[in-house]
Amino acid sequence: MTSPTQVIVPDSDDLTDQDRPWQVVVWDDPVNTMSYVVYVFRKMFGYNESKATRLMLQVHNEGRSAVSDGPREKVEMECYQLHSFGLWATIEQQ
Amino acid sequence: MGERFRHIEGDQYVVTLSEGERQFLSDVTLMLNSVDSTNHHDAASTRLKLPVYLDDPESTDEWWRLMGDQLETSRELDRSVFDRVMEGNEEVVLTAEEAESLLRVINEGRLVLAARLGIRVASDFDDMDDEQRMALDFLHWLLEDLTSELSGRL
Repeated sequence: MTSPTQVIVPDSDDLTDQDRPWQVVVWDDPVNTMSYVVYVFRKMFGYNESKATRLMLQVHNEGRSAVSDGPREKVEMECYQLHSFGLWATIEQQ
Repeated sequence: MGERFRHIEGDQYVVTLSEGERQFLSDVTLMLNSVDSTNHHDAASTRLKLPVYLDDPESTDEWWRLMGDQLETSRELDRSVFDRVMEGNEEVVLTAEEAESLLRVINEGRLVLAARLGIRVASDFDDMDDEQRMALDFLHWLLEDLTSELSGRL
């Protein structure tokens, strides 16, 4: 085992724009059905029914929900998949 | 009215649609094929090509430049499955992947039809005439049936 070393955790203020994680946001629309949106979240992200339903309800009640985050390349691909299912997904930095 | 979508075995599903239902749905294919992604005056085109970076039009354009063709190819593949079902017999067997293609096309049909009917908010559904409502309701029922059947296998 190696001896412990001090890890310097940067303050969030020290993060550059490039460091801040990206997230995929799904927006409410009047046409996509609740059960369909839950299905897409479960299928795409592997969320259980409870989590997928909670996120869907957040979209429905609050107008939007951040459904996933990570490196930009990952969320861009997830955004692509959500669009292929007809959901309105956008990408933003946290 | 029997079950329209039913899991049979392994990853296979059987789709059962009457001739009248398939005839109605074949109009959906025509409608989807009429969407021209370059026509920004068509609400359906706009609905299928929404901004991806809300505060950054350049990044949105770049995303669509990189992903747009791939997305269009994927939609065409989905529609080819849909067409196969419409051109087939009353019962057609699909794999789970093909059944999901069918699901996406039914949903896309709802999105395009609703966009062209001017539905922007939920209350707009109240302004439809009976024929428009029947068309959207039928697609809604199909979508719900297939979503339920596919959800049962997740």
